[in-house]
Order: sequence, then C-alpha cells, then structure tokens
Amino acid sequence: MQENTLPPGESGLYNRIAVLRAERGISRQALADAVGVNYQTIGFLERGDYGPSLKLAFQIAAYFALPVEAVFSMEPFQPLSRQVYGLKSSSLATNPIGSNPHES
Amino acid sequence: MRAELNFFGKTLDMAQQRRRRALVVVIYAALAALMAVLYLLTHWRGSGAYMFWAAMLACRLFLGGYYNGGLVKPFNNRPPRQYAAAPPLLLLKLRIYQPVLPDDDTAYRNDERELNQRDRAHYLAYQAVGVSVIIPMFLASLRIMHPGLLASVGMTPDQMYYGLLLITLTLFLTLPQSILLWTEPDMEEEKA
Repeated sequence: MQENTLPPGESGLYNRIAVLRAERGISRQALADAVGVNYQTIGFLERGDYGPSLKLAFQIAAYFALPVEAVFSMEPFQPLSRQVYGLKSSSLATNPIGSNPHES
Repeated sequence: MRAELNFFGKTLDMAQQRRRRALVVVIYAALAALMAVLYLLTHWRGSGAYMFWAAMLACRLFLGGYYNGGLVKPFNNRPPRQYAAAPPLLLLKLRIYQPVLPDDDTAYRNDERELNQRDRAHYLAYQAVGVSVIIPMFLASLRIMHPGLLASVGMTPDQMYYGLLLITLTLFLTLPQSILLWTEPDMEEEKA
C-alpha cells in the first residue's frame, strides 16, 4: 500500500506534508507562518495542486528537519513503516539473528 | 486572495467559489447596464469617463488588485500606504479602505503561489484585451471595404469605436481580478 495514494494533481509531485504535519501535530497555519506563505497554499501543496519553488521546498524540508527528498518525490511514497520495518524484516529473513552476514 | 470582503465595515464571507462567481457576474452586469444607460443618455459624449471611474470603484470596493480594498490582494505586492493623519477625502472617511496593520504581513502580501496565479490571470486577460482591440480594427477595415454594411447598426462609427474602447478599458482594469475570483476554488475554512 502506498502512503500517498492520491494522484499528484497539477504539480506532478508527491509529498508527505500532510503526514508529517499530522504526525507532529502542526496546524496548516503554523506551517504556513513558519515558511512565509498563506495557509491556503499549504492545502494546495498537500493536494499536489501546486508545485513549490525550490526555495519553498527546502524551507518546508528544513522546518521538518528532513532532507528534501523525504518530503517531496516524483514517485509515490512508500509507507514509512514499510521502508523501516520492511527493510529490517527482509534483512532478518536473509540474515537470521546470530548468523554472520559476511560468512557467505 | 482574501476570504472575506470588508464592505463599509461589514464582513461578507466570500470563501465559496460560487459566491465569488456571482459577485463577478453582478459587477459585469452593473458595468454593462451603466454603459447602456450612458449611451442612451448622452451617446457616451463626455460621459465615457464615468465607465473608468465605475470600474475603478468596482476594483476598490469588491475586486481589489489595484487597491488595498477588495478581495484580491494588491498586485504590486507592496504594503499599503500608511496615513499618519486622518484621510482628508470623504470616501476614505467612509472606511472604504480596509485598515491594515503595518505588521499584518499576510493581509497584503502575495505568496509565491498567489504571484503565479496573478501572472497567469494577467496572461489570460491580456488575450481578451487583445481580442477587444482587434475587433474595432476589423470593423474599421470592414467599413472601408463595405461602407453600407454597418449602416444598419444605428451607431456612428465613432460611437462604435469609442464603445469598444470603453469595453477594452473596463476589461483592462477588472479582468485579471475577475479571472482570479472566478477560478480560485473554495477556500478551506479550517485553519488547523
């Protein structure tokens, strides 16, 4: 299952702004004030109806203390749980606990 | 764009697109009616300037764009002029201007998306104004080639050209804001 299943709208960009905002309990207004835009613009960004400038994309990424590619992507995002735990379980399957991954 | 219209101290909710579209229709209907009345009264002789002032008043009260009042934020993206003393004109005293605090940045400043929308609206309006300039040129050519063809319209050529000039002027002053009001979707009420 993809984290952002909505089509990217007019911008052609997928983003995790809504997820990050919900995760951290930040309102649209607070984010808008922090990056210097209208709160309506945050809604347009979240729906993918507006593609931000490079400056705004970096500002938003910096606000969430994440690299810009963790917030915006040209491809649909995978769920963070799959990215973190999926990697872990696949590495566990190939390298069970106690085995030396470098032996083979 | 602002979600609320401050009209003589009363606040009108204009967050919904259909309300903004209704406002645009009413404004253009009123301007068209005024133009028709001016033609019937004076054949626009000496009264054409009223169209200019009516369009400017529509901008100031409802549409915005060129003034601090109205729904669309100022196109120039600069803070409004601050008056140290009370404004001398009667219209200013009637609170046509919305009071804006110097540090209320978002009340006048367009962000990057709004600037993009502003530029797109001007591009679209430019096409319409261009067409309204081409029409009188086409009519002038037609009149030279077929002098009797436009005789049945009931207007002298000068009146016709002047009317089209007034339409062009009105579109130039009001169309970018109207395109913005017409196309912007419903604004989200929730700020959370």
